[in-house]
Amino acid sequence: MADDAPARRFRLPRIFRTTPFRLTVLFLALFASAAMALLAYIYVATAGEARRRTEAEISREMHSLESAYDRAGLAAVNQSVIERAASERSLVYLLMTPDQKRISGSIPVSPVDRFDGQPTWTTFSLTDVDAAGRTVKHPARGLQHRLAGGQLLFVGADIGEDEAYVVQVVRALWGAGALIVVLGLCGGLLMSRNVSRSMASLTAVVDAVRGGDLGARAHVRGARDEFDELAAGVNEMLDRLERSMAGHRHAGDAIAHDLRSPLTRLRARLEVAYLDVEAGKGDPEQALAQALEDTDGVLKTFAAVLAIARLQAAGTAPNQALFDPSELAANIAELYEPLCEDKGLDFDAEFGKELQARGNQEFLSQALANLLDNAIKYTPSGGAIMLRVRRRSSGEIEFSVTDTGPGVPEADRERVIQRFVRLENSRSEPGSGLGLSLVAAVAEAHGGRLEITEGPGKVGEMGPGLRVALVLPRA
Amino acid sequence: MRILIVEDDLEAAEAMERGLTEAGNACVRAADGELGLAAARDGEFDVMIVDRMMPKMNGVQLVESLRREGDQTPVLFLSALGEVNDRVAGLQAGGDDYLVKPYAFAELIARVEALARRRETGSVHTLLRVGELEMDLIGRTVFRQGKEIDLQPREFQLLEFMMRHAGQSVTRTMLLEKVWEYHFDPQTNVIDVHISRLRSKIDKGFDRPMLQTVRGAGYRLDA
Repeated sequence: MADDAPARRFRLPRIFRTTPFRLTVLFLALFASAAMALLAYIYVATAGEARRRTEAEISREMHSLESAYDRAGLAAVNQSVIERAASERSLVYLLMTPDQKRISGSIPVSPVDRFDGQPTWTTFSLTDVDAAGRTVKHPARGLQHRLAGGQLLFVGADIGEDEAYVVQVVRALWGAGALIVVLGLCGGLLMSRNVSRSMASLTAVVDAVRGGDLGARAHVRGARDEFDELAAGVNEMLDRLERSMAGHRHAGDAIAHDLRSPLTRLRARLEVAYLDVEAGKGDPEQALAQALEDTDGVLKTFAAVLAIARLQAAGTAPNQALFDPSELAANIAELYEPLCEDKGLDFDAEFGKELQARGNQEFLSQALANLLDNAIKYTPSGGAIMLRVRRRSSGEIEFSVTDTGPGVPEADRERVIQRFVRLENSRSEPGSGLGLSLVAAVAEAHGGRLEITEGPGKVGEMGPGLRVALVLPRA
Repeated sequence: MRILIVEDDLEAAEAMERGLTEAGNACVRAADGELGLAAARDGEFDVMIVDRMMPKMNGVQLVESLRREGDQTPVLFLSALGEVNDRVAGLQAGGDDYLVKPYAFAELIARVEALARRRETGSVHTLLRVGELEMDLIGRTVFRQGKEIDLQPREFQLLEFMMRHAGQSVTRTMLLEKVWEYHFDPQTNVIDVHISRLRSKIDKGFDRPMLQTVRGAGYRLDA
């Protein structure tokens, strides 16, 4: 029967999938390879050395016995072999007749199988009985010579002791290697857990934002490392995003609110006019004229909302260039001055000389026009309006419009900049309620700000007035 | 006047055609940029009204092609894009004026007439004359019935524009754009105040007013 359950891909636990852990494993693998190579080198070097030492000792012994033979003959050699074989030395000896019969020595037979008379090296094993009574075999080396008289002499030595030392070294290296691998793995796990925890907070924020929660913020631990930098960056990005989203949402609400009411009014008027005309009463011409006027009002509001939204979306005003702020203000003043005069307002202007600012002149002209327009609208006749352009000691350029109207209570000053906010006593005046919002948006799009303070104070019926300043950063 | 309307919004094009025809013009319509280009090459027009955003070939490309071919017919761009950049791009492509949608019909007519008129008075004059009014552009003086009228520099520019478009309706927006060079919509009708000042200077003390208010449109200077 076929197993048709979908093949589940084997997945490692999360911690083993983290980047730091993978790096740890990679480095451990590299380290292990290096350790193996080192081990092999040490083995070859020490093992070879032990063998060389043994062989040298054998050669020395052989030489000493041969010189004894040359000096004093076979009997002396025989005597030496018997003495040496009986001693506690680790060497083994065998003196044989030319036909390989044992004369004396510590082993019964020569391990050399075929001997052609030339000095011959051989590797063999020595059987020994250890302290516990067990039979143990040791690797050994041996050398066989033919003496001048034809007798054969074999000298061998146990190399086991040296080899045991090498084995010990190798075992120690293996142990150290294993310890390093285990410690490395533990370190890797710890490190990856640490990094994972830092990343987890960021991942959680990203997940939350994806889930629609724009208010989520990453935790900045204050370690000033790259994770903090990333967290701070993410937070700043989210702040901007949230502000912009809030702006859009607010714009949407505002448009819905401020366009819906005049549109509703327009629709109702048209409906009434239609019914009236149908019933033979009412003046269709007047109804249409009123409808057109209402439509224009809606369009004006729409244009203002759009301008603000575009400025806010763009972040900075387009087409900025260096210009003379006094000249710009003088042109706007020239446009509005007759309006003041008509309303019986005293208009005064003061323009600083040789000033320079950077910005979009069209937007700034409109902003100034809105400020003057507001001042003229809200200042009763007999009052005064002052337009001033100056450079502050900080280098900022300030356009200010001061009037002697009723002003705005301090508590409401923040609010009047918001879209569509019109204070109760100004509802009767025409206007979209967007004038100051646009000025604020223009100021912000130039890296500047809008400051609203009290005017010159109360003088008789007048005042306390309002002073609105558009401040541009130093060019 | 023969007017070419290149506009892909059928309803808007029909309304335009109807209004312009009623005002005594002959209109030809084209529903996209390619048809518009073909129509413009075919016929002689006094003014072309071109929508900026259209299928196949947009208004800017159309006008660029015509200008490359040496066609100097005045072009009025219509656009929903009202930002300075958009307007500058339209004018750089060879457009002569720029009207942002939605617009009042009176505004469209006034601008079309102004464009056609500009073509007629292409030559350079140093002296403008409208009825009893005489303007010396070099000496910067204005006389009515031989009596000198003292004008501020801006009033002089305003009157010059009205005189160049004598007999035509001129809207407030046109004045703000052409005389003051502002392209925003002032919340109050500042232009009215300037016009009434100018009026008091050129009409006060004379038997017949020359500067007329045109209801629903703007102003007109009559000879």
